Amino acid sequence: MLKLEVNNLYKNFGGLQVLRDVTFEVNGPELIGLIGPNGAGKTTLTNILDGAIKPSSGTVYLNDKRVDTLPPYMVARAGLGRTFQVTRAFRRMTVLENLLVPAMALHATGRQNFEAKAREVLDFLTMSHLTNEYGRALSGGQQKLLELGRLLMLDPSLIILDEPFAGVHPRLMEVIYEYIHRVNSDGKAIIIISHDMDTIFTLSKRLLVLNYGDLIADGDPQIVKNDPLVKRAYLGEDEEEG
Amino acid sequence: MNLNRMGGWVVGTLGVIALLVAPVWLTNSPYLMHLAITSFFYAILASSWSLLAGYAGQFSFGHMAFMAIGAYSAALMGYYVRFTTAATNLCRELSLGGIWIVLLNPQGVTQTNTPNCLEMAKATMPVGAIIMQPPVWAGLLAGILMGALFGFLVGSLVLRLRSTYLALFTIGFSEILRAVISAEIDITQGQSGLKMSPLFPGGISLFGMEFGAAAKVPPYYAMLLLFLISMAIMGWLASSRFGLFIRAIREDEEAAAALGVHVVRYKVLVFVVTATIAAAAGVIQGHYIGIITPNILIILQMSLVIAMAVIGGLESLVSAAIGAIIIEFMLELLRNSFDIGPFSVDMTTWRLVFFGALLMLTLRFRRNGLIHPLITWFSRRNVGQETVANRAAAAAAPDA
Repeated sequence: MLKLEVNNLYKNFGGLQVLRDVTFEVNGPELIGLIGPNGAGKTTLTNILDGAIKPSSGTVYLNDKRVDTLPPYMVARAGLGRTFQVTRAFRRMTVLENLLVPAMALHATGRQNFEAKAREVLDFLTMSHLTNEYGRALSGGQQKLLELGRLLMLDPSLIILDEPFAGVHPRLMEVIYEYIHRVNSDGKAIIIISHDMDTIFTLSKRLLVLNYGDLIADGDPQIVKNDPLVKRAYLGEDEEEG
Repeated sequence: MNLNRMGGWVVGTLGVIALLVAPVWLTNSPYLMHLAITSFFYAILASSWSLLAGYAGQFSFGHMAFMAIGAYSAALMGYYVRFTTAATNLCRELSLGGIWIVLLNPQGVTQTNTPNCLEMAKATMPVGAIIMQPPVWAGLLAGILMGALFGFLVGSLVLRLRSTYLALFTIGFSEILRAVISAEIDITQGQSGLKMSPLFPGGISLFGMEFGAAAKVPPYYAMLLLFLISMAIMGWLASSRFGLFIRAIREDEEAAAALGVHVVRYKVLVFVVTATIAAAAGVIQGHYIGIITPNILIILQMSLVIAMAVIGGLESLVSAAIGAIIIEFMLELLRNSFDIGPFSVDMTTWRLVFFGALLMLTLRFRRNGLIHPLITWFSRRNVGQETVANRAAAAAAPDA
């Protein structure tokens, strides 16, 4: 069963403290929302979990393996996959090639072993007609789906989705909803970062709230929603009004 | 195998056969043979640079430096290394079984200041002792190894550099190398250059015919063989996981790493592979021309290779190679001056203007080069129709 342990994480950029003593755990296939105002440290936290940047102090363990000292490709191979806030499809590679990259990075075998799985993934994402198109030919929403497809090929135990619904057509949003539910029911933990509060409160079973580097809430979304600290810091309501 | 791919193989095979039999018609013209050999040399450089810059996105200006490292390694080996069957006791030497590897002392340009240690030792060496110059293949091996080594070093040093910074770093590397070669006159003979033996010093027999050391046919086939081998290796790499990963790195290094791609390994590897190929080309070209000078490192030479790859098509090995061959021939054949009415056009200088204009027009209107779009049209002409048909089929499906 998946276990992520984030312990006393600090991150400073020069004199700016972006994360302060962030500690939480993910146990098993949880569906977690991560919210916070712009500049709260969500992306920094994601980049640390992903290995793209190193924490100033603190540790991250994924399935009892320390990963905060590892480079991103090893963190990915250890079982953490992510998407990016700004979509990062490989634009001059075909959709099929986009999907083959993570599968072939994980396994030292030929592409023919993964093409069938890639086509299944494309079917699921309703993108099979785009198999041989270049990434640049896809719409923004389709590129988001492509990123999700790459994660299915990577097959990580923990997935971080950074703004998966931003700028996505409602019909594609349904596909993403279904994706999240299916992947989660397959036993993978998912952390969703989003500013879309309705979606976050609908989807998440647990909510983490970051506020300028501090993890100010961690719990059931309905309880967190009514937390005065969260209201004041993020939801924009006065304590008295709540 | 689909029709597009089969068509590509047929065209490729016919092209290779044409290159193999071309000397039958070209052999009466040493000038055209020379052009063909030189065009293969540039085709190797342009295609390997396309693997580095077009596939992996590493815009290095140090490619000619790797070529020169290969050529100079072979030349220095030919100049300063000898195999003997007896110790000289005057030169620096290393015994390997019954063979002595002797390192001659630097002679400088005039060769009058310092006596040659081997020449002095001959008087005291046993009668019948054999002294051998290293064979060409040993120089080729040395050049390849040095190319790979410097490819590894430069690749490791530029890991964190991108675009302009990478370009400036590699220009700096190339210029430093040129300055060192020019400055170390005692060893490299500076601007005078180092002479290199012919590829086949004792001549060679090919297809039942004897060819002397100065004949063009043997170097034609040597350079063609290297060209075909390097294209085969690079083509295989480009279609393998290596090719997939370096293209992913070109597109987005961070995203590739987040998907499990070992970015550092593949960035260094692509430098090693392309530097090795460039170095091998440098060795063969040096032996063919007979001399290597630091002028091969001037930025204009590197620009020529880049222009060849860009005009052919940066994102395709074949396009870059074809671009190099066409441009090398074009630049030479355009030397013929002509008159338009009362005006005389001196093409020895105007050809460079046309070449520059072609480069500018390509960059402005055909970013993917002039050859690559043709190949892309041929290989992907049905993709759009397939996409539309598949989408229509999906929409018409009962559960749609």
